[in-house]
Amino acid sequence: MPEEIRAHITGVVFQIPTKPGDKVGAGDAVIVLESMKMEIPVEAPRAGAVKEIRVQEGQTVQEGDVVAILE
Amino acid sequence: MKDLAADLARRRDAARAMGGEDAVARQHAAGKLTVRERIDLLFDAGTFTELGVHATHAGISPDMAGKTTPADGVITGFGAIGGRLASVIAYDFTVMAGSMGKTAEVKCNRAREIAYGKRMPMIWLIDSAGARIQEAIGSRNFAGSGLLFREESIMSGVVPQVAAMMGPGAAGTAYIPALADFVPMVKGTSHMALGGPPLVKAVVGEDISAEDLGGSKVHCEISGVGDLEVADDRECLAAIKTYLSYFPSNNTERPPAVACQDPAERRDEELLSIVPDNPRRAYDVKKVVRGVVDRDSFFEIKPGFAKNIVVGLARLAGMPVGVVANQPMVLGGALDNDAADKAARFILLCDAFNIPLVFLQDVPGFMVGSKVERAGIIRHGAKMLYAVSEATVPKLTVVIRKAYGAGYFVMCGRGYEPDLIVVWPTAEISVMGPEGGTNIIFRKEIASASNPDEERARRVAEFRKLIDPYVAAGAALVDDVIDPRETRPTLIRALLMAQTKVVQRPWKKHGVMPV
Repeated sequence: MPEEIRAHITGVVFQIPTKPGDKVGAGDAVIVLESMKMEIPVEAPRAGAVKEIRVQEGQTVQEGDVVAILE
Repeated sequence: MKDLAADLARRRDAARAMGGEDAVARQHAAGKLTVRERIDLLFDAGTFTELGVHATHAGISPDMAGKTTPADGVITGFGAIGGRLASVIAYDFTVMAGSMGKTAEVKCNRAREIAYGKRMPMIWLIDSAGARIQEAIGSRNFAGSGLLFREESIMSGVVPQVAAMMGPGAAGTAYIPALADFVPMVKGTSHMALGGPPLVKAVVGEDISAEDLGGSKVHCEISGVGDLEVADDRECLAAIKTYLSYFPSNNTERPPAVACQDPAERRDEELLSIVPDNPRRAYDVKKVVRGVVDRDSFFEIKPGFAKNIVVGLARLAGMPVGVVANQPMVLGGALDNDAADKAARFILLCDAFNIPLVFLQDVPGFMVGSKVERAGIIRHGAKMLYAVSEATVPKLTVVIRKAYGAGYFVMCGRGYEPDLIVVWPTAEISVMGPEGGTNIIFRKEIASASNPDEERARRVAEFRKLIDPYVAAGAALVDDVIDPRETRPTLIRALLMAQTKVVQRPWKKHGVMPV
């Protein structure tokens, strides 16, 4: 079942440490946002494989935006 | 007399059989203990005195003719928990689903009177379908009811109040936990909602299960009404005992100190390596809390709700304290509406019961943006300012890293009368962060520079020099810069120093608290 991973805070995409196909564990950072002067990871809610990354570095995302899809 | 004594014993046994074997079996099959098993686990062995065991329904409803309701579906009385008396109201789901009958209300009034009149904690064990409709229907029965919430409000801050959700708590009954200080919820079996699923379906047309509407996850992670999700009844009762161990019996007493095995002078080496060198990186502040307070003494409240702030009870050299700590792991530690609510309420709780407060600061400020502004972050953030200002208990502040903007104020900065304020060498006390500040103050200079990035970096470095911890220490605006390993001994000494604290405030009926 694919699952949408959403940004939980408004910010700028600072880093994308994963790419499609990568295996991640629950709590791993799929992307890292920069907000409130901090690097804030957007974590995988469960273990799985990254199916799709929907954002690019430097892009602004709003809270609730889908940033990646987990398979 | 012998016959009469035998008759009395028979009557007591009948009441103690609760709703009968089948109902008790169903209670157990649902994964719940019976109300009498719960009472046995909650109170110290042999100390519980039951009141109103012979109570039965008021006989006012034709639907109830011929029925008996043992103890009228609620066990009330008093006993010792950890050697100190407390009063209890415990609903019996095996008797008409724990519904609140008229006689039951008389018993409950009596139990509250004991708690309030004798100044001891009040505990509710809630496992009840709500009002017993058969006895509550019609204005003659309803118009005079509801006083329990008024009494609970008046008792608030006088005696500790715990409402444990160990089954359903429907309709108006949900206000008992809402007005209580501490609300543990048993996972899977407890739920609360102002309107249960059938009412929701009828009134707003929404199809939803009791669990999704008001289960422990909903209330302990989203609504914030629940304080702690517990696995089962035993864990719930243990949590109540642990919680009460930090509290005095009432607001005129000091919280009870315990013997402490953990040396007051202990310096935790791990404290040197928890905070990353990069100020933009997160770390788990709970590691700092555990490294500082007495070993195994930290009891977190609302761990699943507004996780960007950590609050909980702990001990320092055996003395209870309330800890308020920013959590950089979640939202970078920035404060939002729920975090402000959670912290303000916890500060009010500790202050009401003479429990000193320890603030661990690492806060990049309050969240900004249209979403939080529309949700009223100014109004919610003000609750925290208000609570910290009102608190007259000893207040101790440690700045771990960021102390930015109003975040510094609400976390008991110098202006909020901390009895001690010390900072780690990593501290940055500033109206805003170096990057943000530089971009605003030197916007023109950066834009017109031949190399804007280089100019910005130079200005940021200059800015950092202004917020170095030795600047505030040099102006004697903080009491000391400490080695992180010195945090525990420093706080313990300050706590002992602040025991004799006296605060005189102007008379007022009460302030106008932002809510």
